[in-house]
Amino acid sequence: MSKLRETLEAGKFALVAEVKPPKGTALDEMLAPVKSLGDRVAAFGVPDNEHARMRLSALAAGRLVQEAGGEALLHLTCRDRNRLALESDLLGAAVLGLENLLCVSGDYVTLGDHPQAKAVYDADSVQLLQIVRGLMAGRDSVGLELSGSPAFFPGAVVIPEAEPLAPQLLKFEKKMAAGAQFFVTAPVFDLEKFRRFRQGLPAQSVKLLATVKILSPEEVTLATSGQWRRVYSIPEKLVQELAAAGPEEFLGRGAEVAGRLLKAIKAEKLADGVYLKAQGRADLMEKVLEAAGF
Amino acid sequence: MIIAERKPFAEIKAMVAPYKKILIVGCGTCVAVCLAGGEKEVGLLASQLKLALGLEDKRLEIGEITVERQCDLEFIKPLCDFTADYEAIVSMACGAGVQFLKQLCYLQPIFPGVNTSFIGVNEAAGYYTERCRACNNCYLGVTGGICPVTMCPKGLLNGPCGGTVNGYCEVNPEKECAWSKIYHRLELEGRLENIKEILPLRPHQRCATPGVVIHPAYKRRYGTDE
Repeated sequence: MSKLRETLEAGKFALVAEVKPPKGTALDEMLAPVKSLGDRVAAFGVPDNEHARMRLSALAAGRLVQEAGGEALLHLTCRDRNRLALESDLLGAAVLGLENLLCVSGDYVTLGDHPQAKAVYDADSVQLLQIVRGLMAGRDSVGLELSGSPAFFPGAVVIPEAEPLAPQLLKFEKKMAAGAQFFVTAPVFDLEKFRRFRQGLPAQSVKLLATVKILSPEEVTLATSGQWRRVYSIPEKLVQELAAAGPEEFLGRGAEVAGRLLKAIKAEKLADGVYLKAQGRADLMEKVLEAAGF
Repeated sequence: MIIAERKPFAEIKAMVAPYKKILIVGCGTCVAVCLAGGEKEVGLLASQLKLALGLEDKRLEIGEITVERQCDLEFIKPLCDFTADYEAIVSMACGAGVQFLKQLCYLQPIFPGVNTSFIGVNEAAGYYTERCRACNNCYLGVTGGICPVTMCPKGLLNGPCGGTVNGYCEVNPEKECAWSKIYHRLELEGRLENIKEILPLRPHQRCATPGVVIHPAYKRRYGTDE
């Protein structure tokens, strides 16, 4: 059983830190958090061509994370693979020892760095979860028998501040029905909104990892200019606090804010864990953990 | 109907550059309605070519003709003898029309005068939007008359992606999210149950290309009767 699953099922607070597969073959930066954070986190999130920007294969990166002593939470996007490729990559992940999965639809190709590429979406994230469950039961998506079936701990994404929320909750319930064992949220900055979402969830017992993110200077500029168009909001006070920071102290301030959020989410039991997005940087992750008193 | 856009003039001019006598064939149905390849557009292209080549002291003889539908044998058969006098043909029909015309007029090179865009509707004068991907497995009865395959850029079947912002699409912020619309339409109709079940993976073999449809009444004629 994976450490992430064990932690969540035992009702303990799970910390997942996201690494950044390189655009290239230089691995040091990606693996630095694994070496420095070690056992302090349950798993390391490994994005799969995040934001439709081509990077090192998440499958390879996930394996490298495990070889470096960490546990991987492998993201798998429906954008880049048809059902054959999804299934064979899933089997590949299993034999390489990757158990934790985050099944996502994936940002659209035109938003990334290969805007002329063909978007696949042969399966959606709900159907991908069904495929995972089928493989675990020893069958592929057409019902053919497998010789040896994989063990996975599948999760999915939910957007707490989705507007309108009802269609998002419909999908959330379908993901549960399709076998999602845990959910990772979109970034959370507004704890009051997150509290309301948690209270209104149709399934109270579901395991939730709240995403805590360090914003980039560009994102803060966007938020102050009124051009913000994201699936999460940032309270005005927080935007001002970050905008007031000079360039040198900016990321440090962001790490402090993230640390505060992490601490509050854990103290109030708003989620079962936190998914930390700290630009894949070990030094920032350390700062967040320090600020959170971990 | 099929929506198309006239190809850029420079591209058409380059395609016909090697020839001295060409025929431009318009199509009087879809591409005429969307102002891309009907009789008027044939005339316009012919004038543009003559003017541009005239400025370069080149001569190009251009014949113009428009048929009701280039995707229908009945309308293009009479063209056969007519086209024999020309070195090349520019078809202003959709991709189907271009290929069907070429099937008959196989002696000359044929060039497309338009880019075929999609199956869509005429929302207002000169404003056309896509509605159907011809997936050959229509979901509209389940999804409240709004197509998730076409209207959601990702073609998702089981609800919105995580990128919807205030009911608008992640891909095109000016378009409403198809799944927000589907949800609200079905909610109004009291038919939300429709989308609570998980829709299975799409049967893509149904839209494997090139597609063939034989009307049940004609199966015996074409030897496909079981």
